[in-house]
Amino acid sequence: MKKLRKITEQIVKLLLTVNGGVTSLAILLIIVFLFKEGLGLFKNPSVEKGYVLCVNSANNVERLSSYEIKQIFDWKTTDWNEIGGNAGTIAPFRFEEIFSLYSDEELGEDYSLLPEKLGEVIAKDINIIAYIPQEFFPQNNNAVKILTSENIRFSDFFGGTEWLPTTTPSPQFGVFPLILGTLWISLFAILIALPLGVGVAVYLSELASERVRKILKPAIELLAGIPSVVYGFFGLVVLVPLVQRTFNLPVGETAFTGSLILAIMALPTIITIAEDAMRNTPRAMREASLALGATHWQTIYKVIIPYSSSGIMAAIVLGIGRAIGETMAVLMVTGNAAVIPSSLFQPIRTIPATIAAELGEAPVGGAHYQSLFLLGSILFIITMIISISAEFISRRRQSKGI
Amino acid sequence: MHKRIKQKIVFIVLRLLGILIVGILLWILGFIVYNGAEVINWTFLTTAPTEGMTAGGIFPAIVGTFCLITGSVVFAFPIGVLSAIYMNEYAGNTWIAKFIRIMTNNLGSIPSIVFGLFGMALFVNTLGFGDSIIAGSCTLGLLVLPVIIRTTEEALKSIPDTYRTGSLALGATKLQTIWRVILPMAFPNIITGLILSIGRVSGETAPILFTVAAYFLPKLPDSIFDQVMALPYHLYVIATSGTDIEASRPIAYGTALVLIIVVLLINLLATFLRKYFAKKVKMN
Amino acid sequence: MKKTILTAIILTTIALGAQAQRIKGSDTMLPLSQKEAEEFMNVNPSQTVTVTGGGSGVGISALLEGTTDLAQLSRKIKFDEKQKFQSNGKSVKEVIAAYDALAIVTHPSNKVKNLTREQLEDIFTGKIKNWKEVGGDDLAIVPYARETSSGTYEFFKESVLKNKNYMTGIMSMPATGAIIQSISQTKGAIGYVGLAYLNQNVKAIHVSYDQGKTFVEPSVANAKNETYPIVRPLYYYYESASENKVKLFIDFVLSTKGQQIVSEIGFISVR
Repeated sequence: MKKLRKITEQIVKLLLTVNGGVTSLAILLIIVFLFKEGLGLFKNPSVEKGYVLCVNSANNVERLSSYEIKQIFDWKTTDWNEIGGNAGTIAPFRFEEIFSLYSDEELGEDYSLLPEKLGEVIAKDINIIAYIPQEFFPQNNNAVKILTSENIRFSDFFGGTEWLPTTTPSPQFGVFPLILGTLWISLFAILIALPLGVGVAVYLSELASERVRKILKPAIELLAGIPSVVYGFFGLVVLVPLVQRTFNLPVGETAFTGSLILAIMALPTIITIAEDAMRNTPRAMREASLALGATHWQTIYKVIIPYSSSGIMAAIVLGIGRAIGETMAVLMVTGNAAVIPSSLFQPIRTIPATIAAELGEAPVGGAHYQSLFLLGSILFIITMIISISAEFISRRRQSKGI
Repeated sequence: MHKRIKQKIVFIVLRLLGILIVGILLWILGFIVYNGAEVINWTFLTTAPTEGMTAGGIFPAIVGTFCLITGSVVFAFPIGVLSAIYMNEYAGNTWIAKFIRIMTNNLGSIPSIVFGLFGMALFVNTLGFGDSIIAGSCTLGLLVLPVIIRTTEEALKSIPDTYRTGSLALGATKLQTIWRVILPMAFPNIITGLILSIGRVSGETAPILFTVAAYFLPKLPDSIFDQVMALPYHLYVIATSGTDIEASRPIAYGTALVLIIVVLLINLLATFLRKYFAKKVKMN
Repeated sequence: MKKTILTAIILTTIALGAQAQRIKGSDTMLPLSQKEAEEFMNVNPSQTVTVTGGGSGVGISALLEGTTDLAQLSRKIKFDEKQKFQSNGKSVKEVIAAYDALAIVTHPSNKVKNLTREQLEDIFTGKIKNWKEVGGDDLAIVPYARETSSGTYEFFKESVLKNKNYMTGIMSMPATGAIIQSISQTKGAIGYVGLAYLNQNVKAIHVSYDQGKTFVEPSVANAKNETYPIVRPLYYYYESASENKVKLFIDFVLSTKGQQIVSEIGFISVR
């Protein structure tokens, strides 16, 4: 009997230990899945998978960067000599055009003659650049050569300034504007929320009567409880037109609108943590200051705020963390234009909004899908850094504790 | 005199800030209640959307959200409570406990959209659940796991060690102590944490976008492998798509109001329970 | 015991799955499929239809993976997508459910009435930046587009932009409803929406595809008689093997009643 009980104890303990590891396991799995999918992006060729870019063999261009390809097919780069070839007007050719040149009968059963015809087209024009499926590449035609294809590079991803993930032949995964957009909007959200939040925290911890606290505290909790999609809806219907009218802007969906919403959403976090820190100021310090003849405000300003500064820092950091990861509200009010931000009153696109808007539309396993996971990884790393620094700051506060 | 005036001004400003916070809350709530109140009636709550989402109700979305709440609680509650017991009662202050605590905090700080990504990769694709209640519930469950662990741990911590030593001294095993003494005492606070996490689950949109949410599915789910509609996603959908935004606006207000009422009630319930039990404990 | 329950659950899922149909894909077609599904279920109460968006590309890849029964596409299946089905030993069938005309819309206060395709191309690629360049007020142009992988985004790019890319940093909206909403609030805005979405809060531009000789108003009549140029078919795709499963629904969509719904929603019926 006793033995049985002991075994049960051991089993339960084991069970509990396993359970204790679940959160760590979850994080580990998140890292594995996010990064596995995300880093897969760099194994993709910069030209859409299954397709090749061909030129006439007489053309001396051997390779093109992803950006150059995009410019060519946008008709922005128009002459081969701009990209290291002999002078000649570039003739971009998309695979589908073959169907307007030849009828289905001419292309043979199951398109068996298609490669041959493609070969003819490419051989005819020395300035052509053709975007065709690999399986229809004219193998036996010496007049056709494939441009060497590179994989998508790190520098294209982090340094690129254009986010056009579905462009053919060469999708552009420039994540730089998205990262900047995310940071930009969060920074201003905090700049708005910080004075407000700290002010309210001071009010709550120093001035408010018990009755006022009883109203304010639940109000703040409620503010924290409102779902982000409701904030987004409110922003869309109320704030967007309001911002547009107030500042007389061409559009109301701006970074500023997003920052406003995010500020409101980050307020509860900031207030709660900052208030906590202020309440922890030792009574002795407070009374000493008052006894020396300082006013209440001077005590707050010179003693309590400096004392709780690391708590306020933690509040800021966590507030930023909340803002950076926020998805739905931002998606609904910022206009989602992937540009490098230069002002507050222009549309902007953030990382979370990009994931939310595009993941559903990206075929599983493709480069676009993987790029969104890489965005998720970036977001994960940023929030991890934030969470760890918040931990660090509050740890320092504890060890400093008097 | 000068510094007194300065103080007065500052305090007035601070007071105004306090009022501003309440003002913002009332503005948002007022706006949605004002516009949504006339939409909500029995039919709205009990019928499916009709006429291309410009008429009818939101019943399937309510049921869907309810399914997701149940599913995520079933998934996260036992795991969360057990981990908290492990951390507080077994691991104590060892490095393992510290490590787990840091991991739990980190998990709690991960943005909800990342959970969505992860849920899609693991539950929907790798495990092959497809878009389904089970995939959505697991994703949401992971999201609220830190909330449950943290509140449970707080609850366990607040119980004085004398109870533990007392029970052990009477010859009870550690397991008996936890089961018969600690858990019953911590129960109210654990439940409060549970309720808070339900509030969180019912409002999240980003994690369910790619794991469970359906645009239109008037039939109620038959199994955990079905998709469902859900309140927050439904609000997003009717706020941004549909052929006639004007006509579906009232529905959007109504949905927003229902969503807010659900969250509000849950929050109130949690506060009430916390106070109620606090009193009870004191009386004992 | 547990095993029995699990088996039971799985069996019920399979059994119920037999009469449940999942439609996935183009967001443009969501209102259509939703309404069709609604009426279809009224007529056939034993049937369940789930409608989910995600975009045309997602619809077709879901069909390939077998996670949907019908894919709704606002563009034709791409050559390489078709190849993928073939290499997996599957074949797809195509049904044109309706036609959709893309209307170019602006704020109601905008003076500009007519635009040629070339002007539209320049506006959306960012060459023309002010309304005065096309005969309007001195006002910055704010072009709105859909999200990148929607069929509408691609169709507009093909038909109007001749495959060139949109200007960088174009405002992109998660759904067509949001475009209407934003354009009705923004003086300098221009965007494109399905005919079904037109309402009095936005103004539809008359478009010319012949360098400005004739400008045609987007309307159901003009789309039907093929004078309005920006028209596309809306498709349902399904696997030939599962024809029996979806036939009832497809037949309903193509029936008089189904096509009546098409017109009610604001698309153009195939008859």
